[in-house]
Amino acid sequence: MSRGTGAGYDRHITIFSPEGRLYQVEYAFKAVKASGITSIGVRGKDSVCVVTQKKVPDKLLDQTSVTHLFPITKYIGLLATGITADARSLVQQARNEAAEFRFKWGYEMPVDVLAKWIADKSQIYTQHAYMRPLGIVAMILGIDEEKGPQLFKCDPAGHFFGHKATSAGLKEQEAINFLEKKMKNDPAFTYEETVQIAISALQSVLQEDFKATEIEVGVVRKEDPVFRVLSTEEIDEHLTAISERD
Amino acid sequence: MGDSQYSFSLTTFSPSGKLVQIEHALTAVGSGQTSLGIKGFPQKFHLSDQADVKLLHRIIRPSNGVVIATEKKLPSILVDETSVQKIQLMTTNIGVVYSGMGPDSRVLVRKSRKQAQQYFRLYKEAIPVTQLVRETAAVMQEFTQSGGVRPFGVSLLIAGYDDNGPQLYQVDPSGSYFSWKASAMGKNVSNAKTFLEKRYTEDMELDDAVHTAILTLKEGFQGQISGKNIEIGIIGADRKFRVLTPAEIDDYLAEVE
Repeated sequence: MSRGTGAGYDRHITIFSPEGRLYQVEYAFKAVKASGITSIGVRGKDSVCVVTQKKVPDKLLDQTSVTHLFPITKYIGLLATGITADARSLVQQARNEAAEFRFKWGYEMPVDVLAKWIADKSQIYTQHAYMRPLGIVAMILGIDEEKGPQLFKCDPAGHFFGHKATSAGLKEQEAINFLEKKMKNDPAFTYEETVQIAISALQSVLQEDFKATEIEVGVVRKEDPVFRVLSTEEIDEHLTAISERD
Repeated sequence: MGDSQYSFSLTTFSPSGKLVQIEHALTAVGSGQTSLGIKGFPQKFHLSDQADVKLLHRIIRPSNGVVIATEKKLPSILVDETSVQKIQLMTTNIGVVYSGMGPDSRVLVRKSRKQAQQYFRLYKEAIPVTQLVRETAAVMQEFTQSGGVRPFGVSLLIAGYDDNGPQLYQVDPSGSYFSWKASAMGKNVSNAKTFLEKRYTEDMELDDAVHTAILTLKEGFQGQISGKNIEIGIIGADRKFRVLTPAEIDDYLAEVE
């Protein structure tokens, strides 16, 4: 069995290529794009909002079971873009970790601690040959007691950063360009503005107007720090507000 | 570490006797963001008794120390730069900066912190810098030989101040480490090292070292340098490692202009 001389195995497991790259990690990023979905996250002054496409490939599918938005605890949400099966595995582990944290230490797991835990787990998959990296980019949102609204993004390479706004998936770069323009002067968006920026970013980048059933929206607000998935009616209100504004 | 299915080493010798995975890891380090460290020298006392030297250090308090610095280029302006800190503490008197793959450095920082605490629990004394460096390097070497794992894609610059004075060590993915008066790693390493060789003097004070570090980073810096896109950590005779705030860095930058 040839090993690690760059003679092909560097593309199969996470060992270094001659240029010092990890091909498996790069391919994992491609898998995120291959899902065909784009997601957006925006952090406002006292709220965080994430939006993603809801593509139901078959009319016979039960739409309520198709979701990429998962509550990890009552106060923390996770939006997974990429391979749904990997997402469910990560969500299960994250829920367990957050619950154990609460039990052990007596207070809710902070958003950045959970993000770091997820990122550290992803790093292990990039260093140990027996597990492949997960094909998902995870956006974690919550309200931190001390720091306020927080939005973190964790990727298959094990990187994690806090974001003022970010995107993942097929049209990630276009969305980031759009958001950079909007967030250039460090604006402090209200809750409504945050949600509308997120939805209109998605609409602009995908160049189509959505129906309320075609997107999923998740929010946390300082005044109500519980992670909530918006109902179709609430999404409709925001969509109407956006089209009236334009 | 590693599953039984992968109980063979992934890092093996090539026919010419090289460990290519480690070389590739060094390439990964070489494409990482530039970082550097500069050590100020303790004044030389010619005393026969070591204890007197330590006493003298405490009384006279030479204003030497170690400074480490790095570029902090983030992928987008949307990233909240306050959520990122590349320079980390291993103990209250030992800090570390890396060049290469950030996620790998987090693993090493975590393991080293634990080792430092285990030392303290056993000996009720702060771990000497050389010991911590040795143990960190041992971890990095393990990952070049154990089954089913790849080497770490980072080089570390470990800066500390203990009873032996200020110290600066560089640890490579192979697990080898050396003590340096000044060193650099990452993208701009050759220019940075040439610059440091010219500018380094043995009786540098900590403030001068910070200025030199900033000038070295400026050499290869693309774009406008500011307190938000570089990080600087210092430790002096007070033995408290600390990361400078962006405001403090901006003050130093103004002095350097």
